[in-house]
Amino acid sequence: MDKAQLLLSLAVAMFAIGMVGVIIRRNVLVMLMCMELMLNGVNLSLVTFAHQSGTTVGAVLVFLIFVVATAEIAIAIPIVLMLVKRKQTLDPAAYTDLKG
Amino acid sequence: MQALTLIVILPLVGFLINGLAGNKLGQKAVAVIGCGLPILSFAITVSMFMLLMQTGEARIETVYTWATFGETSFAIELYFDRLSAVMTLIVTGIGSLIHIYSIGYMKEDASFARFFAYLNLFLFFMLLLVLGRSLLVMFVGWEGVGLASYLLIGFWFEDPVNAKAGKKAFITNRVGDAGFLIGMFLLYNALGTLDLDRINSAFLAGPVAVSASLVGVFLFIGATGKSAQIPLHVWLPDAMAGPTPVSALIHAATMVTAGVYMIARLNGLYLHAPEASTLVAWVGAATAFFAATVAIVQTDIKKVLAYSTVSQLGFMFVALGVGAYGVAVFHLLTHAFFKACLFLGAGSVIHALSGEQDIRKMGGLAKRIPVTFWTFAIATGAIAGLPPLSGFFSKDEILWFALASERGGSVALMAVMAVTALMTAFYMFRLLWLTFMGASRMDHEVEHHVHESPFSMTGVLMVLAALAAVGGFIPIPHFLEPIAPLPKTLESMQAYHVPLIGLAIALGVAGLVAAAFVYRGDLALPKRLRESFSGLHALLSGKYFIDELYENLIQRPLHWISEKVFLNFGDRRLFDGTLNGMARLANASGGVLARVQTGSLHLYILLVMIGSFLALVWSWAHG
Amino acid sequence: MEAFLAGLDSLLLYIFAFSALIGSILVVVLRQPMRVATALISTMIFLGGVYGLLGVHFIAAFQVLIYVGAVMVFMVYVIMLLDPRDPAVKTRFSPLVVPGIIGGLLLAWALVHAVHGLLGNVTSTPARFGLKEFAVSFLNEYWLHFELTSVLLLAAVVASLAVIKGASGRNRG
Repeated sequence: MDKAQLLLSLAVAMFAIGMVGVIIRRNVLVMLMCMELMLNGVNLSLVTFAHQSGTTVGAVLVFLIFVVATAEIAIAIPIVLMLVKRKQTLDPAAYTDLKG
Repeated sequence: MQALTLIVILPLVGFLINGLAGNKLGQKAVAVIGCGLPILSFAITVSMFMLLMQTGEARIETVYTWATFGETSFAIELYFDRLSAVMTLIVTGIGSLIHIYSIGYMKEDASFARFFAYLNLFLFFMLLLVLGRSLLVMFVGWEGVGLASYLLIGFWFEDPVNAKAGKKAFITNRVGDAGFLIGMFLLYNALGTLDLDRINSAFLAGPVAVSASLVGVFLFIGATGKSAQIPLHVWLPDAMAGPTPVSALIHAATMVTAGVYMIARLNGLYLHAPEASTLVAWVGAATAFFAATVAIVQTDIKKVLAYSTVSQLGFMFVALGVGAYGVAVFHLLTHAFFKACLFLGAGSVIHALSGEQDIRKMGGLAKRIPVTFWTFAIATGAIAGLPPLSGFFSKDEILWFALASERGGSVALMAVMAVTALMTAFYMFRLLWLTFMGASRMDHEVEHHVHESPFSMTGVLMVLAALAAVGGFIPIPHFLEPIAPLPKTLESMQAYHVPLIGLAIALGVAGLVAAAFVYRGDLALPKRLRESFSGLHALLSGKYFIDELYENLIQRPLHWISEKVFLNFGDRRLFDGTLNGMARLANASGGVLARVQTGSLHLYILLVMIGSFLALVWSWAHG
Repeated sequence: MEAFLAGLDSLLLYIFAFSALIGSILVVVLRQPMRVATALISTMIFLGGVYGLLGVHFIAAFQVLIYVGAVMVFMVYVIMLLDPRDPAVKTRFSPLVVPGIIGGLLLAWALVHAVHGLLGNVTSTPARFGLKEFAVSFLNEYWLHFELTSVLLLAAVVASLAVIKGASGRNRG
């Protein structure tokens, strides 16, 4: 298999696995980590495409995604902490206050 | 201002002045305006009549061109020929007399000004009716007199019975008017014009696009409503709830004759409508007969006269049906004289007895109120057909043409009318006897206050009685010959002409004698007769239960439909149900769709995944 | 020698890619959160290796530095804070396991289908992605994005402070 196709398949697989993980795990922290996995898959695909194109755009975008992921985690974790402190559990099934 | 327009406008001016400012003007001023203007109209009519006799040609005046589209236009035009002249003289002449009578009759009433305003309004519409050149103007007058009739029948509207009677009159008239309108539509569609003279000449000239009989029947339906023939006669007896001058003017002399006038005016059409004419004649005969039978057992003085009017109108329609249009108008004239006199006389009696109208509680008034008695007696003789009073001449002519006219005369028709004439004489003399003759059956209080009416009332009675006496010598049929030629009479019947006159006199005298015999003394005989024929008496007293029939046949089903179909089903279930149903649907669907919001994060992400998958698939399918 | 090195490159690429895949599956499957974090860290490091093999060394460095060094360490701290006897540890999977896996397979298939055949052969040109080229283009053409990232980081700091301060303020009251 050609290198790029292998890496793209891997990226797609990581993305899909990450999404499946968000759906099937019952621990909110694990869900967060699966979202990080998804981001990583996207990063991999970006790097592969950048490698193909030869311009620096891809690399710049990857860098920016790093920054955004960091910022996102920095805020998501405190929110989760407070949610857990309120509900006394990590199970998202308890977080149904917005039920319509 | 042209003369004909003036004739029509003056009463309208009276209506406006008395209607708007009457209460502030005081009784005297209201009376002067209310009576003076009709008298002025009468004077102008007389001068126009003389002019007509001199020049001999009909006069047409255009008041206003109303609607013009393309080449056709509807104009308000007034038409004065011999027939209009006769009608206008009757309307303004007798109208003025009755206005004068009302001054005395309505003196105590608080709504004096309103009464004169309505009377003038009625005159305005009636003059529009008889002077209109086109059917459209006539129809405006037709509807307008219906309105005036409603207003005047329900004049004392505080009593709901009066208001109900007014409503009944108006609504029954409207049913007839539907037929009138359809006739008008047919005529306009076929001829392109509604001018009466043009319609007549079109039918006389040759075959026309529409069947004359069809139009004739529809117009006659309108006439049955306005002139109280079967089956739309039910409103006239109830209309007696209005003040007596109203009964005299509108429901005896003028408004109810509008149907007769209309058919007489359209004689060109009816000459070519044998089926319609036959219908007119036999409906008239049936009405005359049945109304007379009911009049025999009535106990209210005004109700007897009301049924008598219905019956006499039947006579006029018989004359129209056999083609003797001039004779019908002649009877219209004489009927106006003696019926107005009778009604006003009845009003005088009621006035004398402080409001009593039941003839079982009258009697022995001849000596106490002599002027009223003698005028009433003369008018009764006229209606019974005793020579040389006016009714004899007109009724005899009708009997003759009913027998011998080439256009539908027959022995059967004449026989029905002869029996009716006998009954007419009988019930009228019964009325005279019970009211004025014999021993007094009055309440003691009432008897104490019996007094003759003031001169404004008795003077009018005397004038009308004189006219009823000598009016028969006015040669109306001959006068109207140029417009409405009399039909030819069968050769085979010529031999019976003179014997018929004898028969007519005999019928009148027989009625007089029979009534005098039955109702003499202590009235034991009528009581025995009533007990022996109790079934027949109940049927006649109940007016053949036609009102009840209409109620059950028409009113109840209509009421049921309105309630069950339109209200319950249509309005509530259909409209409200649809609206409410839509609201409930929105509510329910909202409830169902809200089930997606379970609050479970996992479900949301799953839905996102599925959504993005579907989006990807869709993007391939569409390139 | 060249062929050997190239073959070694490919072999290492395959090994790293496969390991990253195993790691990501373990992330979804393992029971205890600490072990999940460890699996994720290993996945990220293998990804870093892949980046290095592709020639973008500085991105590989950033991957390990930022992702593993900052983000995952933060996550590990939080995991250590929470009660291990939390019932969430007992039951691993949510009720939506089966639909989730099926949906995931479908999505993966759709995505692979979408990117299939998009690329030709790869030619690795390490010279074009040196740090020097990256820094130059970053600060010349993409300087606005650079400044915006600093604004974003500031916003993140302020936000997290607000979240914590607000929570503790309410608790005290």
